[in-house]
Amino acid sequence: MIEFSNVNKKYDHDVVALEDINIKIEKGEFVFLVGPSGSGKSTFLKLMVKEEEATSGSIIVNNTNINKLKQKDIPYLRRKIGFVFQDFRLLYDRTVAENIIFALRVVEATEKDIKYQVKSVLELVGLSGKENFYPNQLSGGEQQRISLARALATKPPIIIADEPTGNLDPKTADEIFKTLLDINARGTTILVVTHAKDIVDGLNKRVIALDHGKVVRDDARGGYVK
Amino acid sequence: MTTNTYLIKEGYDNLKKHGSKTFSTMLIICATMIVLGIFIILLQNVNKNVETVKKEQGFQAFISDAATETEIDYIKDSIQIIQGVKDIKYIDKDMAFEDAKSVFSGQEYLLEGLQKVKPFPASFVIKFNDINDASVIKTQVEKVEGITKVKYNEATIEAVITISNIANIFLLGLGTVMLIVSTFIISNTIKLAVYSNKREIYIMRYIGATNSFIRKPFIIEGAIMGLLSALISFVIISIGYVVIYARLPKVGTSLGIFGFMPYSQLWYQVLGIFVLIGLFVGIVGSAISIRKYLKV
Repeated sequence: MIEFSNVNKKYDHDVVALEDINIKIEKGEFVFLVGPSGSGKSTFLKLMVKEEEATSGSIIVNNTNINKLKQKDIPYLRRKIGFVFQDFRLLYDRTVAENIIFALRVVEATEKDIKYQVKSVLELVGLSGKENFYPNQLSGGEQQRISLARALATKPPIIIADEPTGNLDPKTADEIFKTLLDINARGTTILVVTHAKDIVDGLNKRVIALDHGKVVRDDARGGYVK
Repeated sequence: MTTNTYLIKEGYDNLKKHGSKTFSTMLIICATMIVLGIFIILLQNVNKNVETVKKEQGFQAFISDAATETEIDYIKDSIQIIQGVKDIKYIDKDMAFEDAKSVFSGQEYLLEGLQKVKPFPASFVIKFNDINDASVIKTQVEKVEGITKVKYNEATIEAVITISNIANIFLLGLGTVMLIVSTFIISNTIKLAVYSNKREIYIMRYIGATNSFIRKPFIIEGAIMGLLSALISFVIISIGYVVIYARLPKVGTSLGIFGFMPYSQLWYQVLGIFVLIGLFVGIVGSAISIRKYLKV
């Protein structure tokens, strides 16, 4: 599903962001990506969606070699990856339903699909009945659920969550992870970048640790620290 | 709702969201269009009158006093077969004298005593289809036997052509400046719209929106602005021209020479040019602004 082979990324002035990365994530896996700030986690995600180009090495996402991907095909790669951000990135002048419809319009879904998907993803994240609320009328946890619902609406095979619970209290964070596990159980590959030690330790899933741009640990079932 | 209807709605919503900026932009675009419109109308009138002058212009070929009637008929036939000659009219010595009298109207005493002599030669007034053939026709007429002199009003014709050319070049220049200014103004307004939608654009890119999907609402916003400005300017200029035209003296028009054109002959040109310019500045202006947000 996701395969990095000998990937290096250098920024200007020879700043090394990633060095000789070899990672393979299979379809349906649930993976934590951990590491201190500046360890290369964000660069890893940016390379996956081709927001940045690798300096060398090959990257395959959902059977597509993205090194060879043309500029005009990038949107279609991104449709295969649902993104959940730490700061939710919602449209605050639109209702919950409209935020999800927005994503479905982008992928040019049909009217019938839009109606069905909005109902279905809101049910999945536990926001049924909140369709007509504006994000600001809801709690932080609920806002992150909107963001999750939006990422799921287009039925991507991969979900990337970048610090999804960074702004949430522990109880709400637990609920978000429960939802992520539910989604994973349905076959979606999930990659979570997080600093939430307790959750990583508690779930006992695969953990990939980065430090100074290198993979320092890849445990099939691990904790936040070794 | 199809994707395109949705994008049109988004464009229209953007327009409303930036109401006051949209209004002031359209005000400036309207002002420039109206100035341009005035020049288009003036130029159309100049061109029409230039055409009239061109058609009315001809030259006079004088005949020797000794020419017999047969010779005059021969000259007439010879001129008529020259290519490009539209009309030929014979003016005999009597008519030439009468013409001279009208020229000296009020001072007829100057011509007293000349009645019997009839000093003005008979001539042909030759008119042609196309002003540009004038000099070729002149050379051929000069070669016809029995013609003593060809008086050809080159100065008038050249002046007319020069005026028409200058006016056309001026309008082209003004139109270009107006296009650049208006495109720049619309582009600036759209830049603000793009900026205030930065968040949407960022999210759209992550969700997998194609460039054309992101671009369309802004292009539509620009196009609506340009089109509305064109229609408003058209209404204002139409009312203006009709009101002014009603107050203009119609002497020239009735004589078939100089005069202003009725609006029925002009409106579709003004509307056509305005709509084209409006759409052009709207679409190009917004395309310029959105470009840099589409990278990556």
